[in-house]
Amino acid sequence: MSRFAMMATMVLGLALGVAGSAQADTKQVFDFYCAQCHGEKGDGKGVNVTKDFATDPRNFTNKADMEKRSDEDIRGVIKDGGPSISKSPLMPPWGATLSAADVDGLLAYIRKMCDCKGK
Amino acid sequence: MKLLAVTVSVGAALLVMTTATSYAAGGDAVFKKSCASCHYTDGPAKEKTIADQLAKKGPELWYAGSKFQKAWLAAWLQDPKPIRALKYNSLTDKNKGDHPKSSAADAAALTDYLMGLTSPEVKAGVIKPATTPQAKQIFNKKMPCSGCHSFPSGGEVHGGLSGPSLVGAAKRLNPDWTYAYLANIKHFKPVRDMPDFASVLNPKELEAVAAYVATFE
Ligand code: HEC
Ligand code: HEC
Repeated sequence: MSRFAMMATMVLGLALGVAGSAQADTKQVFDFYCAQCHGEKGDGKGVNVTKDFATDPRNFTNKADMEKRSDEDIRGVIKDGGPSISKSPLMPPWGATLSAADVDGLLAYIRKMCDCKGK
Repeated sequence: MKLLAVTVSVGAALLVMTTATSYAAGGDAVFKKSCASCHYTDGPAKEKTIADQLAKKGPELWYAGSKFQKAWLAAWLQDPKPIRALKYNSLTDKNKGDHPKSSAADAAALTDYLMGLTSPEVKAGVIKPATTPQAKQIFNKKMPCSGCHSFPSGGEVHGGLSGPSLVGAAKRLNPDWTYAYLANIKHFKPVRDMPDFASVLNPKELEAVAAYVATFE
């Protein structure tokens, strides 16, 4: 193997490693905080959704619903809770709990789940 | 002469240490043997990451004396009924209700030991149990508390499952701790899946909610 190929492989490996771990971290953040209500798959069927739950938590796999929301809406609702976009207060304000990087990671993760972009 | 001084002071230190141990009346020793594999008691909080929290096999107990009511603790250790609907740190598995049971003698010793573990963040005698329209509104409508916690209402149990049940909080939790927890959650649990509400509710509102939780039979 040429020196260049070796270097390139190493750099690529490193980059993949970093990307891999960042994604694993966001999955961990999602599963820890959001899955309680939205479910690990993001389908809105978390364990808290019993007959008492007054609304349906957002189903992130619903492309048609999710593309109506801008990235700013999604960041805002994570930080300030449902009422910030005139939705249910059952969606808590996580702004004092999550870092800005966590929120950005979650936005990307949710966009992946809906396979959509904001309008 | 020097050697003698050293010997005497080492002896004195040993004496102090033994007295301190026997003063704990065994609760500390029982805890080390039967409980320390799942609970830590040396604060302040150690968790820094989600992985740290997920690695824990049971809740931290370093402020147990501030959090719990003594009579509840002594009774629960002998007959532990599930507090969380789900297995600790799980969102899928049920709590099997398999917490170790202690004998009456061990429970008494453990209770004395645990009630000695307090946090200076908790001011005693401030919050009295009370139901107010303001607190009901916050707990049930304005804030998502009921989405994650089950609680008693009209003789039935309602609410979510991911948080500890608040049914029986009137006998289990010290209302002053509940207030301190809501006001400064990071001190007790730097990593937890409950949001920090101190920036969305003012201290009077937090007091009202803590007083309301203290009425949950
Ligand atoms: C195998 C692990 C394990 C061992 C050993 C264990 N506990 Fe626990 N403990 C737990 C778990 C898990 C819970 C949560 C139970 C629940 O929510 O119903 C818990 C809950 C508690 C609580 C209530 C804490 C809270 O915040 O809700 C107290 C008090 C407690 N344990 C004391 C003890 C004592 C004292 C011992 C030793 C006799 C002990 N535990 C041994 C795992 C353990
Ligand atoms: C997103 C879910 C969620 C919401 C919303 C929520 N909690 Fe919690 N709460 C939890 C979880 C999870 C814990 C346990 C944290 C731990 O021990 O790691 C907890 C713990 C508690 C405790 C301590 C109970 C115990 O026995 O340890 C009290 C009291 C409490 N919450 C009250 C409230 C109040 C009041 C509100 C609304 C202002 C609220 N919670 C909103 C999930 C939630």
